[in-house]
Amino acid sequence: MDILFYKVALIIYLLSTVGYITSLLVRRVLAARVATWFLFTAFTIHSVSLVLCSIKTGHSPVIGFHETLSFFAWVMTATYLALQLKTKTRVLGAFVSPVVFLLVIVASIRLGGDVSLPTVLQGSLVPPHVILSVTGEALFVLASCAGMMYLIQENFIKNKKVKSFSRLLPSLRDLDKINHLCLLWGFPLLTMGILVGAIWARTAWGSHWQWDPKQVWTLLAWTSYAILLHQRLAIGWKGHKAAFLSIGVFSFLLVSFIIASMFFTTVHSFI
Amino acid sequence: MNIVLIGMNHKTAPLEIRERLPLSSRNNVHPLLEMIKIPQIKEAFYLSTCNRVEALASAVDAKAVVERLKEFIFPHGDLTSEEMARCLYVYFDHEAVRHLFRVASSIDSLVMGEPQILGQVKEAYRQAAELRTTGVILNRVVHHAFRVAKRVRTETEIASNAVSVSFAAVELAKKIFGALKGKTVLLIGAGEMSELAARHLIKYGVDRILIANRTYTRALEMARDFHAGVIEFDRLGEGLRDADIVISSTGAPGYVINAEMVAAALHRRKSRLLFLIDIAVPRDIDPAAGNIDNVYLYNIDNLQEIVDENLNNRRREAEKAEAIIEEEALKYREWFGTLKVVPTIVSLREKVEGIITGELGRSLSWMRNLSPEQRKNVEILASSILNKVLHDPIAALKEESQNGGALPYIAALRRLFRLDDG
Repeated sequence: MDILFYKVALIIYLLSTVGYITSLLVRRVLAARVATWFLFTAFTIHSVSLVLCSIKTGHSPVIGFHETLSFFAWVMTATYLALQLKTKTRVLGAFVSPVVFLLVIVASIRLGGDVSLPTVLQGSLVPPHVILSVTGEALFVLASCAGMMYLIQENFIKNKKVKSFSRLLPSLRDLDKINHLCLLWGFPLLTMGILVGAIWARTAWGSHWQWDPKQVWTLLAWTSYAILLHQRLAIGWKGHKAAFLSIGVFSFLLVSFIIASMFFTTVHSFI
Repeated sequence: MNIVLIGMNHKTAPLEIRERLPLSSRNNVHPLLEMIKIPQIKEAFYLSTCNRVEALASAVDAKAVVERLKEFIFPHGDLTSEEMARCLYVYFDHEAVRHLFRVASSIDSLVMGEPQILGQVKEAYRQAAELRTTGVILNRVVHHAFRVAKRVRTETEIASNAVSVSFAAVELAKKIFGALKGKTVLLIGAGEMSELAARHLIKYGVDRILIANRTYTRALEMARDFHAGVIEFDRLGEGLRDADIVISSTGAPGYVINAEMVAAALHRRKSRLLFLIDIAVPRDIDPAAGNIDNVYLYNIDNLQEIVDENLNNRRREAEKAEAIIEEEALKYREWFGTLKVVPTIVSLREKVEGIITGELGRSLSWMRNLSPEQRKNVEILASSILNKVLHDPIAALKEESQNGGALPYIAALRRLFRLDDG
């Protein structure tokens, strides 16, 4: 049952992505409005599927790698929809929904596969660790989406090309605010996620920290975002620089994550 | 249809002629009342704005009243017949309806898409309704025109995007700051355009104005108009720190604001976004200021380019609007086509027969107890009652149509019996 719901959600996520991209192409807000409703529907069905899945397996649906991706997509959608209510930035969906759709597709590869949990994952601290970290990281992805749109819109305004395309994009202030909020909320969540993980690692592996490639990567990410947040809050970086840096940090982390997972073996990889 | 429209607008008549016309009344007689006095005219509608005069009438014979209508317009403007021939246009029926739709939708306006014209048409209609010079035909045309205008407004982009420099500035400010509530504007130098832009910005939520002028007393004067604060001209840097939007229009020969001033102000304002609008010629603000992060600088040419682009866009959207107008004008013609005696009688009879069949069908259960002959009698009774009821109205309708005055009765009948629904 959960798989059926998941597949339906997947299709509606696709529809929503198509809707958002259409709205960019035909430059009408109406298409984005419809796409937002699709996204909301997909999100609801996805939520049902997550609940059904955790009832079926008896653990929260965030343990396996693919489950985590699906949860990641769910958090991104939830946050985007919440922001959309506050700032009416429909077109940001054109950046968010494709990412969500890809995540959901990748997550579906192992759909419904019977997973038996290794003992290291059968602790009560594992779900909070994953939920906190994934939510934090999803917020960082959103921050980069907003940052990217900021740079595009800013480029239009700086170069005096405020034609129909620029009209679709939200105002600079709204995009900066989204970037700011996502960093502000994402950072403490990731921090707590790492701390919970470290506590659990002590129980499972006997030490808080092991210099595992994935742990190093996380530390790198945490530090970069700490710097970014510091620049924003203490130095007062706004607008262009903040947007630029948040994209820079994100792409750097993405690349180093790919390298880390391709060339190094990690104890932090499960199912 | 026997509808006629006669008028002139900014395209057909120069200002010298247009300005002579809107004498709304001579000897305090409303033009509508003069129009309706023309013998063959049944209904009249008169619209006069600074860019156009339109007289719309429904007559027994539209062609016959054209000359009389011209004679009505003639004394108002002291036009020579040569001027009349050059400036006046005359439309009949379908074309007249379409023209009114175009006017109401602002396709025919000097600034295409401007919103005032619809209000002016509404006001003109209010007067006509007050003086009771409109009836079945023109009421329908004008109401239809309101609907068309609304459709054009929502389905095309004809009215969106700024077509004046000051509005373009407001739109840009919204692109940068989102809502303008709580934002501060600094006006440097006095000028009509900068005042206009400031007024637009206030309308959209800006609530604090600062004014700097080389002549301090002039700044104080302006500040009174705007309830604004005043900044001394040699302390502009402080203004740059506090303001979010700066509109500069001094007559200074060189730059009033240089890039260093902006950079320093930006540092003090913790990189909050700053929108600089330079509408002075020669320019007031060093173009290099526009290269600083989080600073957006637009000069008068940049704004004019946006306006030109938007005007082009409106012209493209006008084609869509024309299609909508044509479609709606055809709908009107269709409705008008139903306003004939014979089709009305036919559909009235159809409706009544439908009612009889329906009601007999519903009474089937108890009528089963009757003999076939009795049943037949009930059916005859039902239809003869209804036919008796219809007889007089139909006879009266035929009578009126022979006198040429059936239209209002037909319209009333169609409305009362809901003949146009479904």
